Amino acid sequence: MHDLDFPQLDSVETIEAQFEKHGYICSREIATAVFLAFKLRKPILVEGPPGVGKTELAKTSATLLDLPLIRLQCYEGLDEAKALYEWKYGKQLLYTQVLKEKLGDVLQGARGLAESMEKLHQFGDIFYSPDFLEPRPLLKAMQQEGGAILLIDEVDKSDYEFESLLLEILSDYQISIPEIGTVKARTSPMVFLTSNNTRDISDALKRRCLHLYIPFPTVDLEERIVSSRVPEISDDLRHQLVAFVHSLRELDLKKSPAISETIDWAKSLLLLHAEQLDENLIRDTLNVLLKYQDDIEASTEQLRGLLPVR
Amino acid sequence: MQSPLVNFIDVLRSHDVRVSPAETLDAMHAMSILGYEDREHLRIGLAATLAKTPREKVIFDACFERYFSHNFDADTAESEQAANKDSSDNSETAEQSEQNQQPGASGAVAGGDSGGDSSGSGGQSDPFDQVDSEDSPALQELLDSQLMQQLRDGEREHLTMDIARAAERSDLGEIRMFTQKGIFTRRILDEMGEDLLRNAVIEAEQTASNLLQPLRQYRDALRELVRDYVEREYLLHAEGRNQQFMEDIIGRTKLNNIEHQYMHRVQDLVRKMARRLAAKHSRKRKVYRRGQLNMTRTIRRGVATDGALFETFWKRTRKDKPQLLAVCDVSGSVAAYAKFLLLFLYSLNEVLPRVRSFAFSSNLGEVSELFEKYPVEQAVEMVNRQYGGATDYGTAFADFTSLALEDINSSTTVIILGDARNNNGDPRLDVLQSIYQRAKQVLWLNPESRRMWGTGDSEMRRYQSACHFAAECGSLKQLERVVDQLLKSTR
Repeated sequence: MHDLDFPQLDSVETIEAQFEKHGYICSREIATAVFLAFKLRKPILVEGPPGVGKTELAKTSATLLDLPLIRLQCYEGLDEAKALYEWKYGKQLLYTQVLKEKLGDVLQGARGLAESMEKLHQFGDIFYSPDFLEPRPLLKAMQQEGGAILLIDEVDKSDYEFESLLLEILSDYQISIPEIGTVKARTSPMVFLTSNNTRDISDALKRRCLHLYIPFPTVDLEERIVSSRVPEISDDLRHQLVAFVHSLRELDLKKSPAISETIDWAKSLLLLHAEQLDENLIRDTLNVLLKYQDDIEASTEQLRGLLPVR
Repeated sequence: MQSPLVNFIDVLRSHDVRVSPAETLDAMHAMSILGYEDREHLRIGLAATLAKTPREKVIFDACFERYFSHNFDADTAESEQAANKDSSDNSETAEQSEQNQQPGASGAVAGGDSGGDSSGSGGQSDPFDQVDSEDSPALQELLDSQLMQQLRDGEREHLTMDIARAAERSDLGEIRMFTQKGIFTRRILDEMGEDLLRNAVIEAEQTASNLLQPLRQYRDALRELVRDYVEREYLLHAEGRNQQFMEDIIGRTKLNNIEHQYMHRVQDLVRKMARRLAAKHSRKRKVYRRGQLNMTRTIRRGVATDGALFETFWKRTRKDKPQLLAVCDVSGSVAAYAKFLLLFLYSLNEVLPRVRSFAFSSNLGEVSELFEKYPVEQAVEMVNRQYGGATDYGTAFADFTSLALEDINSSTTVIILGDARNNNGDPRLDVLQSIYQRAKQVLWLNPESRRMWGTGDSEMRRYQSACHFAAECGSLKQLERVVDQLLKSTR
């Protein structure tokens, strides 16, 4: 196993600059965590509300480093057959058929049962061998020659058993396959785990990861993000819409609008050729920001108070 | 000497942040990569390796502020003081620099801790004790000491370092109680050789010297510095531990005996215990799996039938829906216990299956709805108000069966909380037995100690015969143990 070396990740400041170049404006926390993860060869567990750019972080790292992004979406019931590896049953069956035909040749000249068994043992056993192994995302990430970015998305949605399955991979970058043995990563991949905090992740998993919590961004940061993602928007409008989104987050909503919603909203306002935020415009486009009818109703009532004063 | 990082992690642990040795190593690696120069880097790096939940992040930030601002704070605060003092002792500034160059003085600096043993050369003409250098050996000795030099020079860094060193020699890290602050302050001052300064002040008082005023100022400034230092260390080291200590005591005390003013602490503790249990038991949640062919087993079996997949195996995990019925006596004598049991059970709602709760004293009613509508604490209060009164277990059980007996089946756990003191009424054991026969398990929690069971009007012995398990639950610790057991057995 050898390690990667990227000049793009040489210092916290370079990371910030490089990410920005690729359209991902990150806070100091994020850049430091990525830097440490890279230097310490540790996975990062990224937590935070939905839509703050957790998955995006991994994607951007992949484009930045020009590495393949291997993504494993977790869900309830995900098991090793879908995450790690599976045997190619069809091929194995075919193999047994072929073997049956060849059996006569193999056993030729053998006398007695004991001798036949011995001959059979000498015949190479490839039934359970890498040839019949179907790699799934985790194993695939281990097998990448030049390293990879492994994104284990929404790990909190998976079962607890699956978490234990991850432990070996995360601490040693290796996988044990009972029939074959231990498969070590050719180049240790950079691992991002994301979690929406729907349940607590086990201590054992947390201990193996660096922890990064991405909160909703500050006004300043969010304006920079919007201007990088939607550069066509006017300064004035961007100012207003970010301020409005921030005041929305102050309300008690089922789901607060996240960065991704802010960007979507900025894009839609651009499509509508809006120059200024006004009450009617917001009322018509609020469904881009808020995803629950209750939330929309609650904020429409208070709309006047939330509008930026002009 | 322990490294500051290890000390810091110790502080974190005492504030209930779980840091494993492996994480300590990670933090050290992170530090060696990031360096100590940039405080913000340091904070983020340590946070990423040590604090792994949002809750821990908050604690981490608070501790970090306290621990690492330490030296910076001390410096700035002190230099302000020094500035004030210098302005008052303007005449001395020139003398200080003069004394600095004296060979005897520099020898004292190299002399180590207290400087009390420095060979004072009384013959020297020092402007500070021009007045009566022969008559005041104490003053002379003081002037030669390293401590006094630092005080006069305003060498704040060195002074802070000295305080830290003296603190370490006097085991300040062991401080536990706020009453120990005075002792530790005194010990540190002694270690630093404050007695010289004290003696000089006494001497100056006796001789009514004009140096009395500046000497006193130095003495008070030093004392204040040390006191502040001890105060900060106390907050760092003892606060978290005191919290643990309190929790430990509260956990062991009988719930009835806990003073009212500690009740909010008890509630916090219950929630904390619930969180701990939830983390421990949520592991086994959701073990079901949709119907999938277990290919490996099927093929293996197929070998016997010549490769034809004759017999199929399916991946499956048993799944049953446990149900929990909590029946609580809320009459005066056990109300407090019922309150905490309910608080406990409902704090566990993320790991516990459906909980239905019933409250009674004489009549029984279902109170689950209250818990759905209101926050747990509020609901508990409302239950207490609504159902308090004198106990009648017979009627209560009869009510319970008419309400819920049909819902009790082999996956139901019934928890009964009460002291089983029936005021000599009909115990209606037969009703409990019918519940016992239908339910998966019946637990009886009794806040009275086991020795009291069956005495007087207690029907506990009799009821116990119709329970799978009966336990004491006088204190939170016992309650936690029972609930732990419960979680284990319900799933």
